[in-house]
Amino acid sequence: MAHVVGPTLRAESLTKRFGRAVTAVEDLSFTVEPGRVTGFLGPNGSGKTTTLRCMLGLVRPTSGRATIDGKAYAELDDPMRRVGGALEASGFHPGRTGRNHLRVLTAAGGLPDSRADEVLEFVGLAQAARRRIAEYSLGMRQRLALAAALVGEPGALVLDEPANGLDPEGIAWLRTFLRARAAEGATVLVSSHALAEVQQTVDDVVIINHGQLIHSGPLGELASRHTSRVIVRSPDADALMTALREAGASTEARTDGSWLVAGVTAEQVGHAARVGGHELHQLSPEPDALERMFLDMTGGAE
Amino acid sequence: MSSGNGHPLRAEWRKTTTTKLPWVLAAIAIAYSAMQAVLLIVLAAPGVMSGLTQDPGSQDMLMSKDYLGAALAQVGTAATFTLLLGIVAMTGEYRHMTITSTFLAYPRRSGVLLTKMALYAAIGAALALVTLVVVTVAMLVALVPFDHAALTADMWLSVLLGSVIGLVLFGVLGVSIGALIPNQVAAIVTALLWMLLLEPVISLAFPKVGMWLPQQALNAAMDVGVRSEFSGQFVAADNLPVWGGILLLLGYAAVLGAIASRTTLSRDIT
Repeated sequence: MAHVVGPTLRAESLTKRFGRAVTAVEDLSFTVEPGRVTGFLGPNGSGKTTTLRCMLGLVRPTSGRATIDGKAYAELDDPMRRVGGALEASGFHPGRTGRNHLRVLTAAGGLPDSRADEVLEFVGLAQAARRRIAEYSLGMRQRLALAAALVGEPGALVLDEPANGLDPEGIAWLRTFLRARAAEGATVLVSSHALAEVQQTVDDVVIINHGQLIHSGPLGELASRHTSRVIVRSPDADALMTALREAGASTEARTDGSWLVAGVTAEQVGHAARVGGHELHQLSPEPDALERMFLDMTGGAE
Repeated sequence: MSSGNGHPLRAEWRKTTTTKLPWVLAAIAIAYSAMQAVLLIVLAAPGVMSGLTQDPGSQDMLMSKDYLGAALAQVGTAATFTLLLGIVAMTGEYRHMTITSTFLAYPRRSGVLLTKMALYAAIGAALALVTLVVVTVAMLVALVPFDHAALTADMWLSVLLGSVIGLVLFGVLGVSIGALIPNQVAAIVTALLWMLLLEPVISLAFPKVGMWLPQQALNAAMDVGVRSEFSGQFVAADNLPVWGGILLLLGYAAVLGAIASRTTLSRDIT
């Protein structure tokens, strides 16, 4: 695919209430830039899907707007060529073949029918093209949904939990593809309920919880914001921890006998151990730090 | 339509032809009409109905142009299935949630409704023609053993005109019903209940009201000559003129479609 200039997606004070009782999204504002992969993160039920559906004109906001280069989705002249949406794997007629599903879309968008076969090939469904969708696995339906999003060669992709149901190979493929699309200039918005799932894919994150914005910005900024923590294991832990606390660190015993040390770097801990003559069995940065931070930000839901 | 370069009618046509149910419904419509027509011939054949019919000269019924015309006009019974085709076209989108990709391609939703109405009008016309051909052939075969009146060209043309009108209108009406009642089972049950039970009962009880109801309006709209003899076979009600029946049914479809546009069709797709 050639170089593209993707549109800028924007939520502007977006609010959506269902009835009186349920506020799915509240005063949510964020910007999704072209040329980057943006992860839209939050626990299940946090309002991600509702927000994406507002972006695609399927759900009408109670107030505020969701726009594509300043326009509501319904105002786009040629929506299939502007934005490709993949919302859930269930929007297929089970009796139709994958190929025919896409040929409905090529007709609808005024696209050449050859695009249907091209995208099927691209997502790895060429062999299954003429099989009924009823026979497709969840992963194959995800690939078909992605193919449908790609059929109009849109400048923006809006994908709701696209990794669900994909095997590890499929997830790796998806990651490579999304990175490549963004590198070509496209706008890519991908939702997920787990930061770890998209951590290696995204440039920016938009984190929401209970329909409200928690954080938005580059992933790197998020990583640098959080206080690094170090896992320490030592037969001499009591003395070492005392020394570290005196140096200003906070320490926390973990159930497996190791300690979680915050406020100092791994280098400082190593130095303190050497100076104090404490034997070390483990000294490592907290492995799932970002994910832990994400869970803290979103109230540890899941 | 919203997508400048799109081919909405072609997209809807592909939706229709790439699933089994529309083909099955069309096949049933054709078979049912042919069966009705053949049954009328067989029942009127000399000897079959002897003692049952009020008309002692039943052996002459096949000699009656009107009777054969009524048999031919059984093509009109396919209208019921055209109604179901229209209902399925709209409700199937909600049932399988393909409405999501439909609205992604055409975010201006009333355009989707109008496109489907146009397509099912065309499908109704085509189905009327095919059904008429099949019914004609079936009748000619069934008539072989008997002396009978000729099936004339003007008889054939008036049945063609009447059934095209009827099937077009019921195709459009079906789409509007489906838009108003997106639940497929509920829409089909409601339509059948109305046609088989409610409207006949209302028409019997209040004949003056009956003529304003959809099936009676359909009978009126299809009544372009041949059917008149037999149109009142269940209910001896006054009928509207042909143009009155056409306008009334178009009115029903327009009102139901307009209500659907403002209610069910504008709902959030979640």
